Amino acid sequence: MFEKWKSILTVGLLSAFVLGFGIWAAVKPADALSTSERRPLAQMPELSASSYLSGKFMSGYEDYATDQFPLREQFRTLKALMGLYVFGQKDNNGVYLADGSAAKLEYPLNEDSVAHAADRFRYLYETLMAGTNAKVYLSVIPDKNYFLAEANGYPALDYQALTDALRKQTEFAAYIDLFGTLTADDYYRTDSHWRQENLLTTADTLAAAMGAALPDSRYTEWTLDRPYYGVYYGYAALPMEPDRLTYLTSDLLDACTVYNYETGKTGPIYDLAKGAGKDPYELFLSGSVSLLTIENPNADTDRELVIFRDSFGSSLAPLLVPGYAKVTLADIRYLPSSQMGKYLTFTDQDVLFLYSAPVLNNSETLK
Amino acid sequence: MLFSSIPFLYTFLPCVLILYFLVPGWLKNTVLLLSSLFFYAWGEPRFVVFMVIAIVQGYVFGLLAEKFRDRPKRAKLCLWASAVVSLGLLGYCKYADFFISGFNTLTGLSLPLLHVALPIGISFYTFQILSYVIDVYRGDVTAQRNLIDLAAYVAMFPQLIAGPIVRYADIAPQLKHRTHTLADAAYGARRFILGLSKKVLLANVLYELISAYKSAANVSVLFVWLYAAAYVLHLYFDFSGYSDMAIGLGRIFGFHFIENFNYPYISASVTEFWRRWHMSLGSWFRDYVYIPLGGNRVSKAKWFRNIFIVWLLTGLWHGAAWTFILWGLFFAVFLTAEKLWYGEALAQTRFLKHLYVLLLIAVSFVIFDAASVSDAFRTIGSLFGLGGLPRSDVLARYYFDSYSGVFLVAIVGATPLPAKIVRQFSEDGPGKKIMSVVEPVVLLALLAVVTAYLVDGSFNPFLYFRF
Repeated sequence: MFEKWKSILTVGLLSAFVLGFGIWAAVKPADALSTSERRPLAQMPELSASSYLSGKFMSGYEDYATDQFPLREQFRTLKALMGLYVFGQKDNNGVYLADGSAAKLEYPLNEDSVAHAADRFRYLYETLMAGTNAKVYLSVIPDKNYFLAEANGYPALDYQALTDALRKQTEFAAYIDLFGTLTADDYYRTDSHWRQENLLTTADTLAAAMGAALPDSRYTEWTLDRPYYGVYYGYAALPMEPDRLTYLTSDLLDACTVYNYETGKTGPIYDLAKGAGKDPYELFLSGSVSLLTIENPNADTDRELVIFRDSFGSSLAPLLVPGYAKVTLADIRYLPSSQMGKYLTFTDQDVLFLYSAPVLNNSETLK
Repeated sequence: MLFSSIPFLYTFLPCVLILYFLVPGWLKNTVLLLSSLFFYAWGEPRFVVFMVIAIVQGYVFGLLAEKFRDRPKRAKLCLWASAVVSLGLLGYCKYADFFISGFNTLTGLSLPLLHVALPIGISFYTFQILSYVIDVYRGDVTAQRNLIDLAAYVAMFPQLIAGPIVRYADIAPQLKHRTHTLADAAYGARRFILGLSKKVLLANVLYELISAYKSAANVSVLFVWLYAAAYVLHLYFDFSGYSDMAIGLGRIFGFHFIENFNYPYISASVTEFWRRWHMSLGSWFRDYVYIPLGGNRVSKAKWFRNIFIVWLLTGLWHGAAWTFILWGLFFAVFLTAEKLWYGEALAQTRFLKHLYVLLLIAVSFVIFDAASVSDAFRTIGSLFGLGGLPRSDVLARYYFDSYSGVFLVAIVGATPLPAKIVRQFSEDGPGKKIMSVVEPVVLLALLAVVTAYLVDGSFNPFLYFRF
């Protein structure tokens, strides 16, 4: 009797689940993108004789079926919970939670990558700055792992070895140590980046080391209404409270203009339209832009600063603007070093190579 | 198409099941055949041709072998002709480049390689067709006159790409008449979900550790051991999980496939291990190679020759590389040694025999997984501290910590203990009552979790496809 009921229940439950989700998946309209993963989702591939015979239709359909499965985000969360709390795994898709914050494992130190980054910096120095009066500085931004990994039993980069190796290969630049100016709280909990509102000490340290005077600016804090789900929120797929994204304004910053070399347009430092987009961090200087210049019409100086940077520089650079008449931000991930000479001429500027440890440790993107 | 994929679970399988149970009995094999061809063509459209050729020649030569049964020479000719076509296709697709490379090395020539892509499952269906024609030739079974039935047997998607190697003799009656019961459907569904869970929740997760090992710039002795242990468990859950899924699906369609695994890691000798691991392959070689060669009823020298031939072929069946040959001969050596010298003494020990088996299995699978023979020896050396590796490192300790839960579940799951506990609990009245509800709910939860893993990850390889 019990065996019969068990059979009915087994077949009934499993059939209902498979058929229910199968039908749901078949009739559900396809989503365009995954906001948590910040990527477009696969769409139904076109069926043709050639796509079938080459296997492209099948592989495309498998991607489509997986990407468009109903309750995808909830299933991803279930997987993360299973891995972390049932199997006791310490990370999910390489992202771990520690002290209420999510971070991505970054290990081990890739010396070749650091050497490649140094090589790119040297190329820029030798082709553009050598023989000029430009003063060159170098700084490494510690990522969250510096504060969280080792303390919580995760493999951690040897940051000392990373900075030593980089400094050794970039003797043309004066090194500015930022490690002591930051704590784990200075980063978003759900994202890799640092919080602009916590970077005043860091900005002061950089400016002081470069001999620039930052006027005693009084900033006003503005916080976006919408919650900020950082990139690690999507990777981890775990239930986490969102961050709030705050940016600092002042009359001086409001008067600044940003020229975007890619679009040829001029705009403000904070791009509020981007702040309402898929990645609110792009509010800072419009996100990934290869080359842009910030003009400070109210500067007390005619000094100029050129920052070779990654995305961390977007939120920090506005805080250095008060000390300069012009700040240029160049990203050699999007504009190769060999092309920089077309746009930049060096005379007596301050030049800062400002890169985060993860980019230096995975520097194949630096061109 | 993989069983462990969203399209299979939520599109292909429900459609096929609905169609299969809607059509009348005389059409069920046709539905099975057509759905199997669709399933096979999903991954390899052009390789359907190879399979169709193999099936048709098996059908024709099977009929001819039976027709000429009273004319042995002609019957034998049919058998050989079928074997030449079957093994010719297998040899061309799987071994041509291996033999050309070997020939080039021996002669110093540089004949061009063919670079033929390997049709999935070709080793499995070739052996099924071979066994069918041999059995017809021997008079053990009657030839199948219905091409659709024979093709449905060979191409049946539950066992097409990864076994078990189902003998025609075992399911010939079921091809004609089979029953479909609720109990069979429930058993099949249960077996399928358990196999799917073994594959997705354990094998795939363990393979992430194996991938981490393989991509690590520097490793330690601890990391090499973690890799070896993960690989041993991964291979078992991967392959036995697929076999469970095949057996389960077969049962839903009314077929009773043979078992392929029986907790091999509890074996007390290498001989016992091979009675518990990939049993359908072992029995195939026993019945169609070892015994026809004389088995052990010959002189000692010939007996050992027979053992080495069987294990050389077993190694080659798994892949066209020297590592697989070495792997097969590795077992031949230890099987022979057990029979000749220490088998009985080993059996008297309590723990040593299990340690011995697990150690040899770990070493054998390191050879199995190695990119080359030298790589195999290097990794085996590293297991035992050779090569100057540090004893442990940060990454190895991290992965040890992070995967200890997975290892624990996998190790316990590789023993009969969980099944024994469930069986004992279900024996009495209250236990049976509770399990009648708990078991279906647990299976549903497992399906949900498996779906979650499939939705989250694109990582989903299956090793035995290449065989």
